[in-house]
Amino acid sequence: MSSSDQHSQNSDSSTNASAPSDIDTSADNSTDSKNTTHFGYKTIEKDDKISMVAGVFHSVAKQYDVMNDLMSFGIHRLWKRFTIDASGVRPGNKVLDLAGGTGDLTAKFSKLVGREGKVVLADINSSMLNVGRDKLRDKGLVQNIEYVQANAEYLPFEENTFDIVTIAFGLRNVTDKDKALRSIYSVLKPGGRLLVLEFSKPEHELLNKAYDFYSFNILPKMGELVAKDGESYKYLAESIRMHPDQETLKSMMDNAGFEQTSFKNLTGGVVALHKGYKF
Amino acid sequence: MQASNNKALTPLSAQASSSTPFAEGLLLPQVATATLELIINKALALNNNKAISFAALNQKTLTLALAELSFELSFTVNTGSSPAMVMVRSQVDTSDCTIKTSIKTLTKLKANQSLTQLIKQDELDVNGDIKIAQQFANIAQSLAIDWQSELAKHLGDVPTHKLLQFGNKITKSISATGKQIEADICEYLVHEKRLVVTLGQVSAFNGQTTAIASEVTAISARIDKLFAKLAAK
Repeated sequence: MSSSDQHSQNSDSSTNASAPSDIDTSADNSTDSKNTTHFGYKTIEKDDKISMVAGVFHSVAKQYDVMNDLMSFGIHRLWKRFTIDASGVRPGNKVLDLAGGTGDLTAKFSKLVGREGKVVLADINSSMLNVGRDKLRDKGLVQNIEYVQANAEYLPFEENTFDIVTIAFGLRNVTDKDKALRSIYSVLKPGGRLLVLEFSKPEHELLNKAYDFYSFNILPKMGELVAKDGESYKYLAESIRMHPDQETLKSMMDNAGFEQTSFKNLTGGVVALHKGYKF
Repeated sequence: MQASNNKALTPLSAQASSSTPFAEGLLLPQVATATLELIINKALALNNNKAISFAALNQKTLTLALAELSFELSFTVNTGSSPAMVMVRSQVDTSDCTIKTSIKTLTKLKANQSLTQLIKQDELDVNGDIKIAQQFANIAQSLAIDWQSELAKHLGDVPTHKLLQFGNKITKSISATGKQIEADICEYLVHEKRLVVTLGQVSAFNGQTTAIASEVTAISARIDKLFAKLAAK
């Protein structure tokens, strides 16, 4: 279960509310205001969110890949492969891997766009970016990759720059998702596409319950054992539950200006891939 | 809270089940492409034939649409790394060469059946630059992997040598046993049960049949002659 990078926040009205019954996520939503937001199940000041999420990812950065493999039993690699397949990437394309973390998607894109293309690995968290840069350099991937520390809400790129923008397991950590989606829309070229890979709402109630048990009982313990940080993985589980469900996220993309938006549920809806075009 | 959860689930389940095909939801194409990619790149890394050049194929994509699979297999070469890598994907927007065929037809191609003949028979459909497909095929055929050396890296020289010796012995032994079993079965069917005849018996029978046929033809000719004489008188 990946938990990539970026800052978080829910300013949305609808959430993926499959949390344990003692947590009233609807109450959390009602407390959303211009100045407050969510950090997992906690309601906090918006200004505090970036630093709190940054703390989580500074803490887990070094063990990030190992934990992803452990927690998802390696399935996150298939989810990311599905994203690459759905991207329609071609040689020469310019790709922005937003909240790219340790660079799994960037590595694949780099090989597919070739020397004439370019991949920008962007992340708000310097620790994650450093781990990603070291990993990609160790793999010999240097020719067509740039690294940028950037906030998804204020992307430091010119309008109409990228053919493809991906954000994998990062959107739920963004403080103002609507603003981030508008910012992404702006940097996409006409004909370009956004792919959002993110945890979502399981399709079946039984799977939902098993997933809840796993997320709130096993996952934090795993984090404690391997990354020596159970709290960060408790936040991961909570932030997933507070993330908009499939239909809500699709509507948010529509509202940001994306066209032909659609989503595919993967692994029973545990993860969904949303896709939208700018024309 | 629980009630609102259930309400949220219903339309989503219905929507998702209609939008996500079974194999796709289970990520089977991704499992297949990941496995293929691993095998191909491992083979390329072990290749000893340094004469193989990927330069002409850099960033070129060959797509195989096999009738037996619900998804395509696209192979893209990247020469940016050393050794060159092949990326395998289950869908691409554009391909330099697309071959639509079946696994059965691919085996025919391996048996050197004419490409044009298969295209004429509608067993093979090629779109795009056929040279790309030929270059991919040439590379696959030119790979030279020294399995003995590779095994020795992991096991050591002596154990590998012994293992291969043992393997050869086992192969010879299996082959000899197979031949013996075949001979015993023949003996039983031909001589004991008399269910099958030998090749010699078949050719003797054929010879006798041919002789009788020619005798019958000669007698028939003589009878025709006699009838002709009687008719003349």
